[in-house]
Amino acid sequence: MNRLGMKTLLMKEIRRFVRIPGQTLLSPLISTSLYFVVFGSALSGRISQVEGVPYLAFIVPGLVFLSVANNAFINASSSIFSSKIQGTIVDLLVAPLGPFELIVGFAGGAVVRGILVGLLTWLVGIFFAGPSLQHALLTLGVLVLGAYTFALLGLLSGLWAEKFEQVNFFPTFVMLPLTFLGGVFYNVEQLPGIWRTVSLFNPVVYLVDGLRYGMLGVGMFQPWVAPTVLTALALVSTVIVHALLARGYKLTS
Amino acid sequence: MYGAMSPPVLSIEGLRKQYGNFTALHDVSLEIPAGEIFALLGPNGAGKSTLIGAICGMVRKTAGKVRLFGIDIDEDPVTPRYRVGLVPQEINFDPFFNPVECLEIQQGYYGQKPDPERIREVLEAMQLTSKANVVTRALSGGMRRRLLIAKALVHRPQLVFLDEPTAGVDVELRRDLWSYIRRLRAEGTTVVLTTHYLEEAEELADRVGIIDGGRLLLLEEKAALLERLGKRQTAVHFTEPQQSLPEALGELGVVLSEDGNSALYTEQATSNHGSGRVLGALYSAGLPIRDVETQRPRLEEILIEVLRSGGAANAQKQDVQA
Repeated sequence: MNRLGMKTLLMKEIRRFVRIPGQTLLSPLISTSLYFVVFGSALSGRISQVEGVPYLAFIVPGLVFLSVANNAFINASSSIFSSKIQGTIVDLLVAPLGPFELIVGFAGGAVVRGILVGLLTWLVGIFFAGPSLQHALLTLGVLVLGAYTFALLGLLSGLWAEKFEQVNFFPTFVMLPLTFLGGVFYNVEQLPGIWRTVSLFNPVVYLVDGLRYGMLGVGMFQPWVAPTVLTALALVSTVIVHALLARGYKLTS
Repeated sequence: MYGAMSPPVLSIEGLRKQYGNFTALHDVSLEIPAGEIFALLGPNGAGKSTLIGAICGMVRKTAGKVRLFGIDIDEDPVTPRYRVGLVPQEINFDPFFNPVECLEIQQGYYGQKPDPERIREVLEAMQLTSKANVVTRALSGGMRRRLLIAKALVHRPQLVFLDEPTAGVDVELRRDLWSYIRRLRAEGTTVVLTTHYLEEAEELADRVGIIDGGRLLLLEEKAALLERLGKRQTAVHFTEPQQSLPEALGELGVVLSEDGNSALYTEQATSNHGSGRVLGALYSAGLPIRDVETQRPRLEEILIEVLRSGGAANAQKQDVQA
């Protein structure tokens, strides 16, 4: 294994987003803060409590998850896509870096950005709703596994995309519906019968619920469900992305 | 130093690449010994970059074997890459990093810790020292090309592929680069070069391969090739235009230029006495000679001739050994 090569790619990915903090860190923070203001402040007057916690506190885990997932996804997809467009992907194809090293480098950088923006979002959440961390290990596990899984989905999207408009396909048509219908702003149990059943097929529901349990101590499912779902998703994504990178899918001709 | 007994650093057997019904490479076979400068020549779309891409991992070959340093890249694609460097034809640059950072990253990819001394050395060789800390976005096209060369060399590869390395690089710098390539060869580095500047191949190459339509039409040592297929042209310029030449000169194959100012004579490079005989005849005829100009054999003419005639003649012969 080329450990130094892997570390170099990872550090390069981190330096890349750190150099444009306005776009990579501040911008997502502002949009998440607006969610707190618009959804939280506006709805908390009508919905005082959900599952025994104040509404503003209830939406914090979901918004943290949203930040982590979005930023991990965008970082990985934009990085690999821009490498393809700029032609710098050649440097990686020719270098002694196998699929494993590429996954660790690209996904690692994306995980760091996702967690960083997630933590900043959490700080904003603490400002609006006060601090709460009931199960630190579970919270950390769900955040890291979630960031990794969405980083891999981002890699998949960036590998697949050949045009700029295709880069936005996954975030717009897959991630946005899944996250907004994943119980970020509401309790899925409160949905009418059929919609509740449909929601149970959305993996984001379990992830948000797991994080909510970790941070607030309340949740619909058993605490082991979210880490299990995430581990399964992470494993499947890893196998797929590894196979595609080994084949040079849309990287080699 | 280049030598026929050196073991091959690159060995290709029956390499084929197909894109649907289009065959970009037709069962190409080739061996390149250590320490050689090998020039791969051919027109646009001949298959030069596809061949390099298939060796370096940018193109998925359809069939055939490629061994780098004796390692089959199908069995182990990663290990040989530590010893390979590539200057791609297309200019690329990462706008987030300056040249020093780009070179540090490149060393890291190849499992090496940043080596400021080596980075300084390649930046100096590429005359980029003054731009070492400038964002790559601000570099000119020629500078970006030189940065690509620096990136390909910074990890001290033993085999370097230079795909049009001097396109867009000014004349003076190009000659400095040639010196640097000769130095690399002297240090034992093997160089595979594709270029549109045939003068570059003439200056540098030990051996030449001519490829067209995905077929390797010719593979021969440059000196032997120039000797075998090259033509030497002698132009004798007169002080005043001539209406015609004496019949004896015509029999020797000498022709008068259209403006009547020069007598032109072309002979095979292998000929040892043709020019002398012609000059003697011109002198004996009492023609008013002002100047004599001799043009040595050029790869350009050979390339044109091989592409024109050899392409069809060698259509069924995909592996031509000298």
